[in-house]
Amino acid sequence: MVAAEVIPGPRIGEAWGLTLHPLQHSGPKCVQRTGMLEPRSQQLDGHVASGCLPGEQILAWAPGVRKGLEPELPGTLICTNLRVTFQPCGWQRSQETPLSSEYDFALVNIGRLEAVSGLSRVQLLRPGSPLKFIPEEILIHGRDFRLLRVAFEAGGLEPQAFQVTMAIVQARAQNSQVQQYAGIPLSKAGQNTGSRKPPVPLLETSEDWEAERKKQGARGWRVSTINERFDIATSLPRYFWVPKRTLDSEVRRAFGHFHQGRGPRLSWHHPGGSDLLRCGGFYTASDPNKEDIRAVESMLQAGHSDVVLVDTVDELPSLADVQLAHLRLRALCLPDSPAAEEKWLSALEGTRWLDYVRSCLRKASDISVLVTSRVRSVVLQERGDRDFNGLLSSLVQLLSVPEARTLLGFQSLVQREWVAAGHPFLTRLGVTGASEEAPVFLLFLDCVWQLLQQFPAEFEFSEFFLLALHDSARVPDTLTFLRDTPWERGKQGGQFNSYTQIYNPGYCQPPAGNSVNSQLSVWDWDLRYNSEQILQFHNPGYDPEHCPDSWLPRQQPSFMVPGPPSSVWLFSRGALTPLNQLCPWRDNPSLLAVSSRWLPRAAISSESLADQEWGLPSHWGACPLPPGLLLPGYLGPQIRLWRRCYLRGRPEVQKGLSAPTISGLQDELSHLQELLRKWTPRISPEDHSKKRDPNTILSQSR
Amino acid sequence: MRAWLWDRPPHTPVLFKISDLLAGPIFAFPEVPWVDHTFEKMGTLNMNLEIHTNEKEVTEKEVTLHLLPGEQLLCEASTVLKYVQEDSCQRGIYGKLVCTDFKIAFLGDDDSALDNDETQFKNKVIGENDITLHCVDQIYGVFDEKKKTLFGQLKKYPEKLIIHCKDLRVFHFCLRYTKEEEVKRIVSGIIHHTQAPKLLKRLFLFSYAAAAQNHAATDPRNHTVMFDTLKDWCWELERTKGSVKYKAVSVNEGYKVCERLPAYFVVPTPLPEEDLSRFQGHGIPLWCWSCHNGCALLKMSALPKKEQDDGLSQMQKSFLDGIYKTIHRPPYEIVKTEDLSSNFLSLQDIQTAYSKFKQLFLIDNSTEFWDTDIKWFSLLESSSWLDIIRRCLKKAIEITECLEAQNVNVLLLEENASDLCCLVSSLVQVMMDPHCRTRIGFQSLVQKEWIMGGHSFLDRCNHLRQSDKEEVPVFLLFLDCVWQLVHQHPPAFDFTETYLTVLSDSLYIPIFSTFFFNSPHQKDNVGRESQDTQSKPLNLLTVWDWSVQFEPKAQMLLKNPLYVEKPKLDKGQRKGMRFKHQRQLSLPLTQSKSSPKRGFFREETDHLIKNLLGKRISKLINSSDELHDNLREFYDSWHSKPTDYHGLLLPHIEGPEIKVWAQRYLRWIPEAQILGGGRAATVSKLLEMMEEVERLQEKIDARPHGQGALLAEAPLLLRGSARLSALFPFALLQRHPSKPVLPTSGWKALGDEEDLAKREDEFVDLGDV
Repeated sequence: MVAAEVIPGPRIGEAWGLTLHPLQHSGPKCVQRTGMLEPRSQQLDGHVASGCLPGEQILAWAPGVRKGLEPELPGTLICTNLRVTFQPCGWQRSQETPLSSEYDFALVNIGRLEAVSGLSRVQLLRPGSPLKFIPEEILIHGRDFRLLRVAFEAGGLEPQAFQVTMAIVQARAQNSQVQQYAGIPLSKAGQNTGSRKPPVPLLETSEDWEAERKKQGARGWRVSTINERFDIATSLPRYFWVPKRTLDSEVRRAFGHFHQGRGPRLSWHHPGGSDLLRCGGFYTASDPNKEDIRAVESMLQAGHSDVVLVDTVDELPSLADVQLAHLRLRALCLPDSPAAEEKWLSALEGTRWLDYVRSCLRKASDISVLVTSRVRSVVLQERGDRDFNGLLSSLVQLLSVPEARTLLGFQSLVQREWVAAGHPFLTRLGVTGASEEAPVFLLFLDCVWQLLQQFPAEFEFSEFFLLALHDSARVPDTLTFLRDTPWERGKQGGQFNSYTQIYNPGYCQPPAGNSVNSQLSVWDWDLRYNSEQILQFHNPGYDPEHCPDSWLPRQQPSFMVPGPPSSVWLFSRGALTPLNQLCPWRDNPSLLAVSSRWLPRAAISSESLADQEWGLPSHWGACPLPPGLLLPGYLGPQIRLWRRCYLRGRPEVQKGLSAPTISGLQDELSHLQELLRKWTPRISPEDHSKKRDPNTILSQSR
Repeated sequence: MRAWLWDRPPHTPVLFKISDLLAGPIFAFPEVPWVDHTFEKMGTLNMNLEIHTNEKEVTEKEVTLHLLPGEQLLCEASTVLKYVQEDSCQRGIYGKLVCTDFKIAFLGDDDSALDNDETQFKNKVIGENDITLHCVDQIYGVFDEKKKTLFGQLKKYPEKLIIHCKDLRVFHFCLRYTKEEEVKRIVSGIIHHTQAPKLLKRLFLFSYAAAAQNHAATDPRNHTVMFDTLKDWCWELERTKGSVKYKAVSVNEGYKVCERLPAYFVVPTPLPEEDLSRFQGHGIPLWCWSCHNGCALLKMSALPKKEQDDGLSQMQKSFLDGIYKTIHRPPYEIVKTEDLSSNFLSLQDIQTAYSKFKQLFLIDNSTEFWDTDIKWFSLLESSSWLDIIRRCLKKAIEITECLEAQNVNVLLLEENASDLCCLVSSLVQVMMDPHCRTRIGFQSLVQKEWIMGGHSFLDRCNHLRQSDKEEVPVFLLFLDCVWQLVHQHPPAFDFTETYLTVLSDSLYIPIFSTFFFNSPHQKDNVGRESQDTQSKPLNLLTVWDWSVQFEPKAQMLLKNPLYVEKPKLDKGQRKGMRFKHQRQLSLPLTQSKSSPKRGFFREETDHLIKNLLGKRISKLINSSDELHDNLREFYDSWHSKPTDYHGLLLPHIEGPEIKVWAQRYLRWIPEAQILGGGRAATVSKLLEMMEEVERLQEKIDARPHGQGALLAEAPLLLRGSARLSALFPFALLQRHPSKPVLPTSGWKALGDEEDLAKREDEFVDLGDV
């Protein structure tokens, strides 16, 4: 290891403000780690460091030129104990956006590191491997498919290039555990979010849940506070919705018989009267008494006479499948992927990623028809209830409710069905290094992107928003994606006095004032994105004609029938089969394993399947689907590769992706309106209203 | 109404009175001159119908058959059941199957009830259930559940007829309820008229032209340069500034020199005229197009190979040497010869690939579709159609690089210079010459390179059914290549993908002369022949007269609303060439890419440096010699710069970039439709905004004159129908927006009869409250 002298040029000092933040007095461990290099604090010089986060240590830096993108940017490559970042010359990190979506690479996000020298020498840098030459260029491949390519300057600065490269390798090795960006100074950001728009309800209080319930018009439901202290299940939120008639004691009674205590809860109440529920698998080893069974049944039934149990994982990939497909996809999308151009399509097929996207969409489409077509209780059942249940239930809501397709609606949906519902983000995104990595959430985002492609006028948010969400999953700045359960999230956020220090030992104890941080969520976009970028989250093609107000929920008669359900179905393998009973235990509890009921049905020949498949169920004959329902295409030719996300590392195929046409037209439109307004102040208000209200335009032109 | 039709059991026909139908849409075209004829024909048809209906238990069935002038009814069959495509479960429409000398038509009983409201994009010549005889690809019969290809004389007649069309429609006709003699007549009639070899003069084209003499001449707005006069060629030379070094010659007037070549063409100025006639036009460098830097694209048909005769080949050699010497000498730049007969695609490749490729879309039923669906990408790849497109585009880029960057003339060489030569040279022109990206320019280009270039459409489309071997979709391949460009750079084109799709359909409509001859000589000759028998010259329609096929409203969909004219008019452009509704930007042209404003999601335009991880690049252009280095650099550097939509345009040819032309290939597959989504949604939003921009622009234009704003309302094509299908404008077959696509094999179990009634009640309750 060459401990090179650091020569901070004036340029660096200016841009980054090599500085130790007052809040940087962190634990001894951090100091130890920075032993190899001490940035000069005398450079501080009153120049307030906007670049450094509290607790962040600069390990090494070197001047370089960002390549691969036009224009090439001169700047500085900086490695800290939290991230690798590129600082272009003269670029100021603004106060409002302390992180950069473009130039920052959290250490956990670095998927592959390559050093290049000359035309032929390429070394793949694994943690702990020594660097064999002085690199001329470094390539950082993000696990989020981004690519940062920096060429170092020659002329005496080679040691620095070597040093920064080695620093990255070492920092990566030491940083296998996630390290959260602590104490981001967000006074400003906080203000902004407060004033700008209605914040996304984080669903940490019962008021949030109550408000949300009212919004959905779920009158037969109430907020249960039984899990307030997480004693039913740590993976469940503190509050959830249960049928109004069910007592808390019954809830407790019922939930004990589900895997990890995740009993049936309401996900979404369809305005037409159906309810979408989710729950974990039946806990087979339990021996419920009659009372228990009745409680379970009434909760599943939720007051409907028809109950459809959906076997969630059926026809969907396993977690391992998803992980494998994602790894393959990442390999395929690397710039030097081994797939030849003419074999690209079969290589893409070989990853099976698109296949999985397809099966998710197909299943979600089926379920949304089930939910919207008739009044019934549809229960998504997955053993763990923390992965595909969330995916399906969010997709179903996106397909069925126009409101979920707005920017706010979508964020609340993710917050409710993923974050609050206890999707183990940390484990699934592989941040912990545990073996159960499976990017289910990213699969979900891909599904949403497909919907966006297929229905460009139905979503208020744009592809860029999805991309931002995709990338945010790898930035350890807020707790949203950094915890596996609501309990851990709440604990870390300092919601309880009685939290223990056992959890996450590698984590440096943050200084006081960090509790502010806990209030932040991934939805505080101004952490990472500036206002220009946030503006692009809006889809210019969104047709406000399909706005939520136009969709009036139908009043439904009360279907609250006491007594056993009149029909119980299992939806599995694309078909409904009648079930004799709702719970597996009733007759012979000890013998009836959960899975045994769900054996494959008698095989249906493909011929006869086709005969039935497209036939409308006869009693649905005249049933129009509600106007807001989207039926996605899920055929081979319709499922596409999210190029803007996955092929970011191959910029040569990035071009021509966005047709700036609609936004261009909008610019033109406002320009013309501006002109008109200038010339004739008299008609300006009228004109203004025209633009705002599409209905006026419509009525005039008709 | 819709629900009622849906619920109707398949055996009850819907009855319509002829009086109802007379008010129907077919008679609503006052400007179409053949309406009168239609009425005449209607009379005879009704006579025929009455005879048949007497025999049927269906007593009052009335149908309308829309016949073109000169079209004759050949045979027919009634009580034919046409399967509705989205249903494989024995549901369909009863009607009459008719074969004329122009088309096969199905006259459904309830057809006209549905198609007046939503089919704005209606073809006036070909209805939704019409198949022109030339459009028929394969005919299958189903015998005892087994599918067999039908050809020649049949011993046994099928119970079901499946027709695959060249525009990829698939029709299923069930003949089980049809009288036996009618089945015989219609099946053998259809087989005979679609599959038996035909004589050129028996083409419907001529009977139509003879009968429709009174059709108005050319549309005044149609300024497509036809290249059938010397003037047209001179004009093109002027436009491209090629007149310094090249001259238009009329030596082939009356096809004295060669029947393959057009009457007029352009050659290098110093070329002696007597050379032209020496090898019947072989070995002559013909001018295609001149680049702004003076380099030209030339083509030459190779001299016939005569291995035995040494003397002749010696002569050929010296002749060629002379020719090359002429064009190598200044003022010409160096000439690079590009031999398309070797080292490039063979026609055989194209044929094989396309026949594999199209099978992916010719789907008989849903089961078949789902079977192939899982392996979609690998099937697609194994057809190698997309790879062929890639290779064509790559070849065009190579030639563009020579012309643009190396300042070299390029001479394309092919056996007859009428297949791949046409393809490559027109692709190069589309990429290099912005004029060719306007609709008029594109049509002129097709006219110049394909029609006058002697592409044998008759053989390549197998219009006369004389040889299946000759049937190669070269022109379709060209359209597909252009589609890739349109798809990648939509703002650069004046026309839309819909335009390309309807153009590809027009290949099979035998009322237009454009695609029904092998060479201009053949066309003129046939025209002259028939001139003897009749006093008036034949009035052959050109496909470029789009008003024959589409109403002005529907023609709006052929035009790209986002196309912006080049700020200053080209000198060479003819007066009055601009459409009055051609759009001009009200903002100064801004660079769409690399504008700092889009910093975060910026267009990541650049490429990896070529030497870094060179593997990837070498995959793309798999050769290491210098020429390919140049090519790569040219390609990469173009793509790293912002695109000038009025300048050079290069396609992306990487794996993920070559796509399936979904609009053309998937439009008839009901499973592929996305209701309320797809491009149609974006397009309608765009049109809406365009209208508003135009309105405001007009307002502003009106201001300086002190007048109040006059709002001229553009026809609102897409208004009213709030949710369009993604297959718009071709989704006319699918009109069941209320259908949930839930694969529900289990539903049978749900509905035993009494239960069913109960449920229905419940449902009704729900709806009422």
